Amino acid sequence: MPETAANLGEDADELLSLPPAMLRVPVLLGLLCCLAGDPTKISFAVLAGFTYTEGMTLPKEVTKIDETVVAIRGFMQREVPGSGPVNQFLLVNEACGCNGTPKLNEIVFCTLPDGVTMDPLPGVVTVTGKIYVGEEKEDGAVIMLYQMDADTVK
Amino acid sequence: MTGVKHLRILLLVAIASPLLAFLPGLQDPGEWAKDVEKACTSQRYGLRLAAARKVAAGGAAAVPAIREFMQKNGPNAVTAALVEAIADQTTLEAVVLELLIAWAKNPDFYWRAQAMRGIAQRAPKLPGFAKELRAIFASYHDDPAWLMRTFARFGSMVLDGVATVPGSPETDPRAVVKLATLLLAQGTVPPLQPLFEALADERTFLGDPWGQRNAQAAHQALKSWLGDAHPLPEGGSFADKQTAIDRLLAAASAKSGQQLRTPAPALDPPGPFAGGIEILSCKSGDLFVRWTEDGVVHAGLDAALSVRLPADAWARLSQQRAQQHLEGNLGVVICDAMRLSWVEPKVHVKVAPASLPAATANWLLDLSQALDIAGQPRLAAALSTGLKQFAAP
Repeated sequence: MPETAANLGEDADELLSLPPAMLRVPVLLGLLCCLAGDPTKISFAVLAGFTYTEGMTLPKEVTKIDETVVAIRGFMQREVPGSGPVNQFLLVNEACGCNGTPKLNEIVFCTLPDGVTMDPLPGVVTVTGKIYVGEEKEDGAVIMLYQMDADTVK
Repeated sequence: MTGVKHLRILLLVAIASPLLAFLPGLQDPGEWAKDVEKACTSQRYGLRLAAARKVAAGGAAAVPAIREFMQKNGPNAVTAALVEAIADQTTLEAVVLELLIAWAKNPDFYWRAQAMRGIAQRAPKLPGFAKELRAIFASYHDDPAWLMRTFARFGSMVLDGVATVPGSPETDPRAVVKLATLLLAQGTVPPLQPLFEALADERTFLGDPWGQRNAQAAHQALKSWLGDAHPLPEGGSFADKQTAIDRLLAAASAKSGQQLRTPAPALDPPGPFAGGIEILSCKSGDLFVRWTEDGVVHAGLDAALSVRLPADAWARLSQQRAQQHLEGNLGVVICDAMRLSWVEPKVHVKVAPASLPAATANWLLDLSQALDIAGQPRLAAALSTGLKQFAAP
């Protein structure tokens, strides 16, 4: 099966049975849809649904979303307490800092596009963007598991 | 010959020095200060966590540096990550225990609940301190902060090996689930029904799906406890939520011997809600209040209490509320926070202590008075007490 049709998923067989002239428009539309891509909804129940230990093989449920566009609901939190707009923030599952420190698999480290800043919003937000899954080290310590290039925050 | 001997010693030192550096307790005292600083002030969350783990692993050796840091910057400059990392350690050194006790007993320390957890988890291994620890736990069985009282109750239960939950009957659904998950993780099988009730919890508060979060915590605890008996194969998924609950119920009943009922879905009370306020406080406890357009005020995360305010009082309050001009985040939130959210005019703000404009604080006091007049003095008092620390000076 051609790669383009494979990307179309369930509609591919139906589309391949159409004459080439009729095929062109839907395939192009389909490709555009794939490129824009409806974000996959992912929850903290999946991201944090395992006990993380440094160096472990991460579960398939989370590695399979690596480098895909996802939408995640959570709470925006500054990396350090402060005020004013931010370009980077943590997306966490719990609003209340009193409840303890989120573990590394309970945080998505989000970065807004270059030059874009915003005040952290109160309450639950949905952040959409490309997620990167895997241990990120600095000074020999794992400092991140989930990173996201955040495109939208609603 | 002597030269060769010296060379051997130098070689040994050269090999041993880097290895010794990996033993946290043998670190140079000056280095602990740097690690504590990093655990509390690094701009990177992950680095703070890693440094906190290192300091905690140092046990007693790192305590002087922590005390020195607190002396210089105040106790609340210590991060939750550091307190939690120390709580997580299994070390039984007296100075570490003393530090945890001092933190837990300090009513102004943000992370006193996390310190209480550290004491509770060590309690069964410290029979020599049983009397003192028993008294500490008992003092906090009915603490207004739900995590604090949950860890204190857990401490009493594991210290004395009792199954009865001490203190007043628990009304916070989060606390009920938390205690059950703590006991399960510690190896005691509590009544499992509350965990199953949590699995079917869909309740929210001002858009926050706290019921689902409780369900996640319950499932995580059941999954760890069931181990291989968990009905879901690795990487698989259930057809739907009901199937998942039914199969978990069967597995848990078989393993525990408890008769467990299929939980009924827990849903939000009838709304729609036109607004509300949320106070999250490690110190004085949480408060959840929301209202409908026509003046029915619900209190509690689970809206256990509701009262209809007289129409004229509600009309006056609504008019005053519409005049509040609030936007963005007010103040710097570290631990305690207040959230105000309502429609018409749309407001959704997060407020740090000492940052709530006087006009809004006065409006909340008016609401508190109206609740008092409507026969809810306890709710009225909780609201006026809770908002005190948020009012701007």
